[in-house]
This record gives sequence, structure tokens and C-alpha cells, in this order.
Amino acid sequence: MGNSLDAGLFAPGDRVMTIRTDPPHHTRLPRYARGAKGTVVELEGRHPLPDDRSRGRSPDPEPVYAVRFAARDLFGEGDHSVTVDLWQSYLRAIDKEA
Amino acid sequence: MRWFSAKGMALSRINDVGGMQGFPEIEPEADEAAFHADWEAHVFAINRALLRKGVYNLDEFRDAIERMPVDEYLAASYYERWLHAVTSLLGEKGVLTEQELAGLEVAGG
Repeated sequence: MGNSLDAGLFAPGDRVMTIRTDPPHHTRLPRYARGAKGTVVELEGRHPLPDDRSRGRSPDPEPVYAVRFAARDLFGEGDHSVTVDLWQSYLRAIDKEA
Repeated sequence: MRWFSAKGMALSRINDVGGMQGFPEIEPEADEAAFHADWEAHVFAINRALLRKGVYNLDEFRDAIERMPVDEYLAASYYERWLHAVTSLLGEKGVLTEQELAGLEVAGG
């Protein structure tokens, strides 16, 4: 796979917002991280979207990113950060949300 | 994306307990064995074999655990959830007939 195919929509340092979703099937976007603002740490690779795969589909691999959130933004308190591996489909650019 | 629709409060399935309060403290067993009974090792092996053969994929397996009835999910042990998911998927994929599944329930008590 060439490098151009590895590039995703987001780069380290980009601010992103997770989607607010409540799917009736498997997802890797936990409830506590929905509708939250975070920062892309790095590209973790490309993997098929579990939400589709759990329904017997065979989606193409897509970028998966480590995304860091301030615990305060997720839980209302805490000085630590929480890093979650998230598929590109779960993320929106913050400037496009405004 | 079809499933991207905001519905106000983000609810979720019973498995998604991250950040939820009220659970007892986790007490790790010292030198915990990989399996606590032979049947657990059998369930582990059967699941690996079915995944390897492509009867279902890992995300379908996780989905099958997550859609257990809430009361059964909370009462079940780790490998009881696995057994539930394997059994559900074998029925849904047509590997086991309804009759065979009914036989399993009788055999399992």
C-alpha cells in the first residue's frame, strides 16, 4: 500500500469533534467519548469500520487515529487525559462544525 | 453514514459502562488461572475455530454479546457471555437448526 493511501483526513495536532450517535449495533466509539472535542495524536493504521463489519458487511479499511481528550471534557473533572483509538467515520473537523 | 443521526442524549448498550458509577471495586485474583472450568476453555477454542473458519467475524461476535438481554448480560460471567454469543450466531448463521439449539438448552439445563 502506497503512502498516499495511508494519509487520512486528519493529521497529528488537528482538533476534532466526535459524532453523537446511538447505533443499534456494535461500535468502538464509547458513550463517554461521544460529542466530545479532542486532539489527534497519530494515525494508528487503517482498519474496516467495526460498525459495518458487525453487520456482516465488508467495508474498505479506513484511517484509525489515537485521539486525546482532556478528562475534564469527558467527565467534568480530572487533570489527566484519556486517549481513545477512533475510526475516521467517528470524527469531524471542528472548523467544519462551526 | 446511515447510522449517523443525533438523537439527543447518547444512550448505549449495557456493555458500554465506561465512566459509569456504582459498580463494586475490581478485585484481581492473585495468580489467576486462564480458565476457571474446562467448559470455558472449550468455549474459547470453539470461538477461535469459528472465527478462523469465517463463520462469523470478531465484530459480529462482539455485537452478539452486546445484544444479550440486559438482565442476562449483567448476571452472566465472562465466558457465559461468550457461550451466549457463539450459540446465537450459530443459530443466526444457520449452522445449528432450531431443533439443535433447543436440544442445547435442554442439555444445558
